[in-house]
Parts: sequence; structure tokens; C-alpha cells
Amino acid sequence: MLKLQDVFKTYEGKAEVTALSGINLTIGAGEMVAIMGPSGSGKSTLLNLMGGLDVPTSGQVMVGGKDLAKESEKGRSLFRRSKVSYIFQAYHLMPTLRVSQNVALPLHLAGVPAGEIAQKVARVLREVGLDGRTNHLPDELSGGERQRVAIARALVTDAPLLLADEPTGNLDTARGEEILSLLRSIHRERGTTIVMITHDHHAASACERLIRLRDGKVEDDGAVAGGGR
Amino acid sequence: MRFLLRTLSLSYVRRHLAKTTLTLLGVVVGVTTFSSIRSAQETLVKGIRSTVDRVAGKAHLQITMVGGVPEEMQEKVRSLSGVRATSPVIEQIVVTEKGELGSLMVIGIDLLGDREMREYGFEGEDADLDDPLLFLSQPDSAIFTRDFAARVGLKTGDTLSLRLPAGVKKVAARGLLTPKGFAEAFGGNLMVMDVYAAQDLFGRGRRFDRIDVRLEEGVSIGQGTATLQKALGPAYRVETPSRRGEQMERLVGNFISGFNISSGFALAIGTFLIFNAFNVAVNRRRRDIGTLRALGATPRQVRTLFLSEALIIGILGGAIGCLAGTAFSQGLLRMMGQTTETVYGISGSGVVTLPPGVALQSMLLGVLASLVGAWGPALVASRISPTEAFAKGVFQTRAPGHAAPRILAGLVLFGVSVLLALHPPFAGNVFILSVVITGAIGLVLLVTPLSRALLIMAVPLVSKAAPVAGRLSSDALLGNPRRSSGTIMAMALSLTFVLGLGGYMGSTKSTMVRWMDDVLTCDLFVRASANFTRPDFLFPGALREELLSVPGVKAVESYRGIRPIYRGQQILVGSIEMGGVLDRTKYEFLQGNEQAMRSGLTLEGKCAVSENFFGRFGLGVGQQVELDTPSGTVRFPIVAVIRDFSSDQGSVFIDRSTFLRLWHDDRVDVYDVSIKSGTDPGKVRDLIRRKLAGEFPALVSTRQEFKDEIGKAIDAFYALMRITVFLAVGVAFLGIVTSLLISVAERSREIGILKALGAVPQQIGLSIVGEALVLALVGLVIALPAGDLFASFMEGPVAKTFTGWGMPHQYPWDILGQLLVSLPVISALAAWVPARQGVRLKGTEAITYE
Ligand SMILES: Nc1ncnc2c1ncn2[C@@H]1O[C@H](COP(=O)(O)OP(=O)(O)OP(=O)(O)O)[C@@H](O)[C@H]1O
Ligand SMILES: [Mg+2]
Repeated sequence: MLKLQDVFKTYEGKAEVTALSGINLTIGAGEMVAIMGPSGSGKSTLLNLMGGLDVPTSGQVMVGGKDLAKESEKGRSLFRRSKVSYIFQAYHLMPTLRVSQNVALPLHLAGVPAGEIAQKVARVLREVGLDGRTNHLPDELSGGERQRVAIARALVTDAPLLLADEPTGNLDTARGEEILSLLRSIHRERGTTIVMITHDHHAASACERLIRLRDGKVEDDGAVAGGGR
Repeated sequence: MRFLLRTLSLSYVRRHLAKTTLTLLGVVVGVTTFSSIRSAQETLVKGIRSTVDRVAGKAHLQITMVGGVPEEMQEKVRSLSGVRATSPVIEQIVVTEKGELGSLMVIGIDLLGDREMREYGFEGEDADLDDPLLFLSQPDSAIFTRDFAARVGLKTGDTLSLRLPAGVKKVAARGLLTPKGFAEAFGGNLMVMDVYAAQDLFGRGRRFDRIDVRLEEGVSIGQGTATLQKALGPAYRVETPSRRGEQMERLVGNFISGFNISSGFALAIGTFLIFNAFNVAVNRRRRDIGTLRALGATPRQVRTLFLSEALIIGILGGAIGCLAGTAFSQGLLRMMGQTTETVYGISGSGVVTLPPGVALQSMLLGVLASLVGAWGPALVASRISPTEAFAKGVFQTRAPGHAAPRILAGLVLFGVSVLLALHPPFAGNVFILSVVITGAIGLVLLVTPLSRALLIMAVPLVSKAAPVAGRLSSDALLGNPRRSSGTIMAMALSLTFVLGLGGYMGSTKSTMVRWMDDVLTCDLFVRASANFTRPDFLFPGALREELLSVPGVKAVESYRGIRPIYRGQQILVGSIEMGGVLDRTKYEFLQGNEQAMRSGLTLEGKCAVSENFFGRFGLGVGQQVELDTPSGTVRFPIVAVIRDFSSDQGSVFIDRSTFLRLWHDDRVDVYDVSIKSGTDPGKVRDLIRRKLAGEFPALVSTRQEFKDEIGKAIDAFYALMRITVFLAVGVAFLGIVTSLLISVAERSREIGILKALGAVPQQIGLSIVGEALVLALVGLVIALPAGDLFASFMEGPVAKTFTGWGMPHQYPWDILGQLLVSLPVISALAAWVPARQGVRLKGTEAITYE
């Protein structure tokens, strides 16, 4: 599913920052992987590369047999649209759109017919347990609910790869647990490949595999003891 | 895309109604100005043309001569072969006593013989006209159009008071015309009367304004013209009515085209406002755009989204602008019409309807301005990287571009512009456009690095003035150089415009005032016509003796100006008793001297020409001006070139004796009266008025009154330019408002944190006002030299192109003074709304903004 080879990423600026230095990594289809590491170790950078949000300074990022590093801006946009979806710590919902409109957004971008959109949106909102909230604005929801909207938005395209950057970071333990179990059930029922960054050992233990980063390098990579409960 | 527009864009609009309105306002201002000016222009020109056409009726040719066609010519023309009918005409614009009824065009014709020429369409009930003799036997008889009569509430038999040259007179309506053809001329404000009665009423003596000629069937216009011209000699002009219309149009066109500068500027303003507004929007929506991109929106989709928004705003603003333009254009038409009447003696009348062509152009330009303005911001939006939405802080990823090539290109273009101005390779509009465009682009390129350097210089000063607030505002200014320099650019361009145009107007006015002081030196002016260029009345030459006999009068000179066509231009030929005039005036001589002029004009029948005549036709001392006179074509050797502002088309001066000898016409436009020292000019004026009253127009003004009147005419001429200057200041104002709004939006997080840390609202408000002041000041510093260059360009090459007068350059200190006072006030005002927004930001809100 995912294969990174000799990936380097440096940010130019006032001072050059090397965020990733020589990452080699393979993630198979249907895996559920956690990424941990200290702040600034390059986790978000890595995730951005996997999702085609950014390109590496050097190296290959193969996703589904395609090297994202070689794709054009447009190619990567189209890739994001259909092959991958994201969940973020800060939700990133459109503040001016209603819940259902937020969820429908990626389908509209992809030009899906309106009837189909309505059906799909209704289905995923039911799946995440928000069918009663379709006409609310994000501001009118709790943090946990907002994150569910974000998950619904990620699910609606049926993308095979789901990337999550600290999805529980802003939530209390109980809300966090709900989100984790939602992700797990998605993984189980749909067979979606999930890569999730987290600071929380408990959250990591929900996954089958754990990758540790330090200073832009893979420090440790292995199965989670008792993972994938 | 429709979904995005309906949801994202619309909800943004709803949330930021004020900002959206500002954006819309940009297009509306531009399109309104453009469409109102264009429709007024078009109506004016069409009105002039159609009036000439309609009044001409079935006439094929019209015979005119400067000073009028002598009566006996009619017989001569009628006897020529190929002529079917002739009809004498006198045309005169008058106002009713109740001024609000507008101007009325009086047409004097020979009612007995004119039916061959024009269709009158009298209505049955107007029995009076079945007997034209009865009509003619009463000299106050007049015919009005049914339209006009209805508007004024006039019935057959009623009287109407008119303000005529010799005073207020009553005329009686003895017939009404159906509004058809002829009767629709001059917007229907038409009055027909007997041509011989008109001669008396308007001081035409035994002359007509023109003779209309209808040719026999089968005689071509070319043949007819040739026959008439041959029989009449070169002093007479034989033209088709449409040629005459064109001639008038050309004269007015010069003035009218000046308005295009204002249209162009207004549209540029609109574009700039759109640009600014979209800049705000893109900044505000950065994070949302990043999210969109992360969800798979292509750069193109993002760009299309913003351009579609611009398109909608363009269409909406265009439509509103067209409507508003129609509302304004009527007033504008009146203003233009009044000016063309004072300056050129040509009046237009009519009701403005938005011509479809203008509506289409305005809509297109509105959309275009909107798209051009949104283009840059849309491109920026499409380049926002998807990671940007998720970065926790804002990373300054974009390395600052290299300034050196920009500076170089700017300097080169600016240099090219100056070189072009100094050594024009082409002439006319192309020349002006090329200089303005290269200069403006050069300035735009130079503004960014220049403003950066100036900002860095200004920062320590501001910080010293107000430690906390000053520091904040300088951080804001330097933090986003792109925004700051964008605002400064708008500011600098607007102020360059203000200083340039203002300096030009100031220099022109003061030069003319100086000229008036030097040349208009007699004590009283006794004028026959209120209009400077169109003789509504002429005094008989014998009146001079009578004026001389008025107690207190020392000397009287008789001025007569005629306006013949010379090489396609309507020049002025002025004649006066030159000896007396040279005794009391101080002309500025560009060639020749006073001695040569005195003897040349008074003794040898030679002429002097004005500076702009010399500039236009390249004829100076040693060369000759060839003029067609009733005594044949005469060559006048030039003995002097003087600075003179009597006509913007060029003037030739001869002695009165020469004029009398060659033109056989002793009538007079203005008597220049000098009084004995120690006499009160007011008293003499009253004596003269009393003497003239009832018999002649009594337009007697003192020197000061006369100068004031000319001053007013100059002001009217520049009225629109002044509006443009105000528009420019308005842009600068709006520029600061939007820039500060962006600044507050960009820094809302920072402001929130500052508040959380205990900054007081005043400090934040003050920092925003400080930002505005620095922006304005830096803009002004850049505009100082640029405005000076622009002013000297306007005064030199541009003025020469349009009028032939080069104006001396003087720095517009007065305008600079006004700016130094008003600019801080304006910029503080502009900071008002943004500052309030900044002050009102709640600490918590600002922090959670992301
Ligand atoms: N756009 C950027 N420009 C410059 N430097 C950046 C940029 N994004 C990240 N960095 C730098 O790259 C390094 C890795 O950043 P990254 O965001 O990947 O860390 P992280 O592991 O996700 O940290 P955290 O746990 O705090 O989210 C950091 O030192 C960061 O400062
Ligand atoms: Mg991170």
C-alpha cells in the first residue's frame, strides 16, 4: 500500500531544518499503524508526505504503486481526492458550512452527482452517530462531535487510506476512547488502512503496529504488544 | 463549483457583509463613473449633431461667413443655376426668464419662403398660421413646439418672458408645432420666429447667420458646392449640414475627451479596490483554502472559485453601476453642456438615456476590472499549500524574492518614460499614453523596495514616539511587506495623481491670472454677449463715440473677435485699436517686441499670433498667415508671437483698421473702457448701463468682475479634473481601510495573545492608527518627486498637445500643504473601523480563531 524509500525533507527558511532524514518504511494494505515520537521529531511531516500534501526533498513516496514525489500538483490533488482522507487534531471543518455540507464537500470537489452525495452523506453521518445534527454549524458542536464530523468527511469518499494526526489530542479520555473505537470499527469493517499519530500510549495500543520517530529517523518499528484489541 | 459558490462563498459574504459591500463598491464606483460620463458624452455629441441635422430640414447646403452673411447675398444665391430654394436663418440660444426651464433655441426664418425647406406640421387648431401675414405683422410672434408648450404650460395666445441680450422681452405663442423632425431639434426646446424680427432682437444688423440652400433635383452636392463657392468667393463657407455638425463635434470633442481620463482612473480605482478586497478575503480564508486543498481541490478549482466570485461581483457591480450612472449622467450632461456653451458657444440639450452600447461596455469593463483585480489574489489562493491549513503556527515558507532585477527594471522603465517625455518620438494620445504607462509601471516596480527601505527608516521613529503601540505597528508593517507595499503603492499612485493634476491646474490658473493682470487692464468691459465665444449680439461700431461722451470715460477700444476655420481648426482672429491697447498692457513676447508689434499692426496691416498658434501651426515671425476675407484671400506677415490665452485653438491679432478695411464690418463684441483717474468705476459703469438700457445689452462689468467671470469659466473647464482628484484621495482612503482590515485579520491571534497578556485596548487601537499614519506618510514621500514629475509632464507636453500652451512649472506647494493637513486626518479616519475591530477582538476568540 505505502512504501517510503530514503525520504529526506528539509524546510528552507531563515535556518534550514531537516525534518526527516532517511526514512524507509513499508505499510501494507489493511494495516492500522500508530506513529509516536517527541514533538518536532517529524511525525506530521511524514504524514503529510504519505498523503501527498507535500513532497519530499529527496526519496520516493510510493502509494498504490504511484510515486507521489513525481506527481504534479494537480496529480496529487486528484490522488488526495480519491485515495486518501485525513483527520486532524484541530478538526479543520469549514466554519461556515453546516455539518452535512462539510461532509459533502470532498464529493462536490470530485463532481459526484447530487443524488448520490445526499445518500452517501446520510449514510456516513448515521455511521458516526450524528444523524440528528446534520443542520448544525461546527461552532454549535462539542469537540467530540466535531471530530466525528471530520471522520464522516474522511469516510464519505471511501478512500482506502486514512491518515490521522493526533485525532484525540483535543479530547478528554472518554471522548477520545469513543473516537478510537470508531476508527477501529472502520478499520475492521471496511478494511481501511489507517496511519495515526498520537502522543498517547493508550491510543497507540489500539493499533497493531507502532513506529517511533526521533530526530527525523525511524527509531523503532514493531508490533504492539496486545495491540488491535 | 456551484456548490462551493453557493455554500462557501455565500456564507463568507453573509459573515463579512461590510467587506463584500466594499468590494462591490469598488466596481460600482468605477462603472458608475464610466457609464455616466460615457452616456453624457454620447448624448451631448448626438444632441449637437441631431440638432444641426434636424434644423437643416431639407437643406442640402448651408452658406456661412464669419460675422454673418449679408442680406443681399440671398438674391445672388437664388439666381444661381441648380438652386431650387434658399432660406435665411438666424440661430440663437436664449434662456427664459425663469431659468429653470432651460435654454431655448430660437430659430429665425423667413416664414413665407421656408416651407420648401422645413416641415412645420402645424396643427389644425392653430388658425393664426393660416395667415402668415398676421403672424408677421406682430413682431412678438413666436411658434413653440407642442412639447415645450406642454412642459411650460403655454397655450396659443399666451406670452413667455425671455432673457434677451437687450433685456427681458415678452413673446407671444401664435402657433404650436407637432413634435416631428424639425421640432425635435434641441430636445424640443425650440422657438421659431421671423428672421427679420430676429435680426433686430439679436443685433445681427442686415445679416443672417446662414443661408440654407436646397438644390434642384439632379444637381449633385458636389456640383452645387462648386457653383456656390465660385460665385461667392473664399470668405464664404459652403458646407453640408452634416459637415457643420462634425465641425462642432470636433470642437467639443477636445474638451470631452478630457473626461476619458476620469473614466479610466475610476476604473483603475475599481480594479484596485477589488484587488484589495480579494487580498483580504484570501488572507482570511487561508486555512479554509488549505483544507479544501487537502480534501483534493486542485489549484485550478480554487482559482476558479475566486474568479467566479469576482465574476459575480463584476456583473452585479456592473449592473448597479449602470443604473447609478444613468442617474448621475443627467447632471453631468448639464455640467458638460454648460461648459461647452461657455467655452465653445455650443450647447447641447436632451435627456440622457443609457445607450445600449455604453451599457454593454460598462458591464464588460466592470467584469473585466473585477477579474483583473481578483486575478493576483486568486493565483495566490491557488498556490496555498494544503499543509498550511494544518501547521500549528505560521511558517514563513516563502523566501523573499530578489529585489535587484525589479529595481533595475523599474529604473529602466522610469528612465524610458522620462526620455519619452523629453524627446517625444510620436505625437498625440499615443505619446501621452506611452509616457504614462511606462512611468506608472516603473513606479509600481520601484515602490516595493522603496517603501521597504522607507519603512525600515520610519520604524525607529515610530517606536520612539510610542514605545508599545509603535513597536506593534512597525511589526505589523514589516511583518507583511507585500500588504504594506500594496497599500503604499495605491497611496503613492493616488497622491502622484493628486499632486500632478493639482499642480497642473494650479499652474494653469495662476498663469492665466497673471496674463489677465497684464492684459485685461482697462477699467470697464462693455460686452454685447454673455457668452465668450458665441456672439449673441453685436454692438454697432458707432456706439464708441457715445461711450466716449459718457462723463469720466478717458478712452474706448473696440474689440471684435471672429472665429474662422484655419487649416481645420477654429482659430480666433481678434481685432482692436492696437495702439491704445499696447499703451496700457504688458504682453509677454516670445518673438518680436512691442515696438515691432505696434508699428507692424497699426501702420503696416500685419499681424501678431499667440504662442499656441505658433505651436500648432509652426508659424512665427517672418512667416505669413493666410486668411480668407470678404475682400479675398489676404496674407498677413507675422511681426510678433505673444503669450495669450484668448483661445485654446490659437489666435491671430490685427489692428481694428485692418479688420474694417478687409471685412467691411464695423460691429463690436466688447468695448474696453478706460476711465479718467480719480473717477469711480462703479459710477461710470452705472452711467453706461443707463445709456444702453432698453436698446442694447447692458453687460457692463468692472475689471474685477470680468476677471472673476473668466476665472469661473476656467474652473468649470477643470471641474471634472477636480472630481478626479477627489476620487484619487478616496481610493487612497479605501486602500488604507482594506489594508488595515487585512492587518487586523492577519494578526487577530497576535492581538488576542497581547490582550491576554494585558495590553490595553488603547495600545492596540493606537498601534493600528500608527500603522495607517506610517503607510500614508511613506506613500506621500514617494509621491512627492513622482507627483512633481507628473505635474511638469502635464504642464509641458500634455498641455502643449491639447492647447498649444506650455505652462511654467511650479511646485504645487499649496496642495502639498493641504495634503499634509488632511492626510493624517484621513488616515486616522481610515483606521477607525479596523481599530475598533482590533480593540473588540476578545482574547479568547482571537486565540481560538484557527
Ligand atoms: N512549514 C515548515 N517550515 C519550516 N519548518 C517546519 C515546517 N513544518 C515543520 N517544520 C519543522 O520540521 C520539524 C518537524 O516538524 P513536525 O511538524 O513534523 O513535527 P511533529 O513531530 O509533528 O511535532 P508535534 O508533535 O509537535 O506535532 C520541526 O522542527 C519543525 O519546526
Ligand atoms: Mg505534528
